Amino acid sequence: MKMREITFGEALNEAHMLEMEHDPSIIVFGENVSSSWRAATKGLKERFGRERVRDAPITETAFIGAGVGAAIAGMRPIVELMLVDFGLVAMDQILNQMAKSIYISGGAVRVPMTLRVLTGAGTSSGATHSESLHGLFAHMPGIKVVVPSTPFDAKGLLISCIRDDSPKIFMEHRLLYPFKGHVPEESYTVPLGVANLVREGADVTVVATGLMVHEAVKAADELKPDVGVEVIDPRTLVPLDEEAILDSIRKTGRLVVVDEDYRFCGFSAEVAAIVAEKALGSLEAPVERVATPNVPLPYNPSLERHLLPSKEKVIVAIGRVMG
Amino acid sequence: MSLGEADLLGLYRVMIRIRVFENAVRRLMREGRMPARFGLYTGQEAVAAGVSAHLGPGDQIGSTHRPLGHLIAKGCDLNRLMAELCGKATGFNGGKAGPYHLFDPSVGVLGANGVVGGSVPMTAGYALADQLRANGLVSVSYFGEGGSNQGGVQETLNLAACWKLPIVFVCENSSPEVQRMLGHEIDYPQLSVDRVSLRAANYGMPGSTHDGWDVLKVYGAAGRAIRRARRGGGPTLLEFRVHQLEGNLEGRIEANEKDRAWCPIELFKAKLAKEDILTSKIDEMIREEEAAAVQRAIDYAMSSPEPELDEVYTDVFARGGR
Repeated sequence: MKMREITFGEALNEAHMLEMEHDPSIIVFGENVSSSWRAATKGLKERFGRERVRDAPITETAFIGAGVGAAIAGMRPIVELMLVDFGLVAMDQILNQMAKSIYISGGAVRVPMTLRVLTGAGTSSGATHSESLHGLFAHMPGIKVVVPSTPFDAKGLLISCIRDDSPKIFMEHRLLYPFKGHVPEESYTVPLGVANLVREGADVTVVATGLMVHEAVKAADELKPDVGVEVIDPRTLVPLDEEAILDSIRKTGRLVVVDEDYRFCGFSAEVAAIVAEKALGSLEAPVERVATPNVPLPYNPSLERHLLPSKEKVIVAIGRVMG
Repeated sequence: MSLGEADLLGLYRVMIRIRVFENAVRRLMREGRMPARFGLYTGQEAVAAGVSAHLGPGDQIGSTHRPLGHLIAKGCDLNRLMAELCGKATGFNGGKAGPYHLFDPSVGVLGANGVVGGSVPMTAGYALADQLRANGLVSVSYFGEGGSNQGGVQETLNLAACWKLPIVFVCENSSPEVQRMLGHEIDYPQLSVDRVSLRAANYGMPGSTHDGWDVLKVYGAAGRAIRRARRGGGPTLLEFRVHQLEGNLEGRIEANEKDRAWCPIELFKAKLAKEDILTSKIDEMIREEEAAAVQRAIDYAMSSPEPELDEVYTDVFARGGR
């Protein structure tokens, strides 16, 4: 495969371009998707026309619902939600209609829809423009939850999502957009439900997702060679590659979960519970979680930083599990 | 468009089919032979019959939590419909849907819906797919006067007009005189306007209100809106005033005196009889045939197996891939 360095945003754009080129059932809509300042969808309207790539009014319920309907009717819509926080105004269409239609129809319909959403804190955007919320969607049955952390995964996972017949929420941390990485020029897929072993190590397993994978890797690099830190990026929370996590725990005996989403009843709690249920005997220390406390995210940069997970906090947590 | 005798009797038959089917459902609920009790469509049959007369199997509808009239008029197989209501494995959705979530894509029934107004945004999506395929198909989105207030419904009216989608919005206003919610009179009004159709202008589409108990008026209004949508003219908001008749029917087709004035079947029957199109012999034959079909549906449902317990875990996601 011909590799070159491109950004996360460019990788997403390539996934759209390559798939839309050969599948006319793929359509794209959302707020401002025709505008050139949106890296992921830039140029799509010019290439594929305003019928297939359309700006929607700021009515998340209507256009997400229209995506669900178009998917049931056999299209493959990629619907963009400008920020995950705004999805909260459209929860009926996401959690009732998008997530449940396959089940309640007894499989009589499919919902090949990808809901792309931007997420994430760290930009002083305040409580309604900063959340992660992947745990909320992972909690509800019927949605695949995809959280890429690199340009390579972003392109491969998005292509997998577009081709998948179930509803997906594809969660892009906006601070990842300028991240660069090696990405093949051609089309490829990264399968849903397969974790990525980002760093190998023998002493402690760090499970991290999205932007937090990079904080975990920074911590792992800093602790070398004293502590062997294994970093696992599940890449998809639903379906979750439990075996990759459990295999690692059986080797290291120690677990730190790093999650930018809220701590209480969150993804970090789920990983801890799975390990407690299925690999308790392998654990040599209590599980540590580095997650955002259940506090609305504040505007002030120092206050916001105080809440969010970071490399420093991961290093402290690793220190605790190592005793 | 003028209707021939066969078309008129066809409309009458569809209304009878809905009424007989729902009477049977009501009886089964009373006898405890249904897993649940749910809302029926009695008194509104003219709307579903008059609208669906213009639709083919490729046209889609999005329905409500009182869906049986819409489903039957759109052509759902009665056996599998009754089986689904009974929660049986042979139902359209293997017993996972029940009345509120029933899907039958084979006749364009893309969903009853358990959330008031919930199907409306999705139905715009069916229309969007048809628009992109330029296939001349249309979608009909049903909701009630309560649903008309939902944010998603109002958002979708706007979206449909912005995108000029081939869709007809059908609001069945069951509070035509006194505003009611869930059948009860309410202290504060829920509609800020006398007629839901007045709102159409605000969303940039034509709107009009009609007597939903007169199947020919429904037929005429729906025909104009559906033809407009089919030829690319965009959406229309139709409001049909209806009276829900639930108190009168103990498994009978006949309305009582109080309801007679608003019963779409009684009204149409009188009209057809006056014009010598419906003789008592033909009426009797239609009712017997429909009653027999509904009895077959009951027998089919009652003799059908329960779903296997393992099935509870299937269909959370789509089976297989592309």
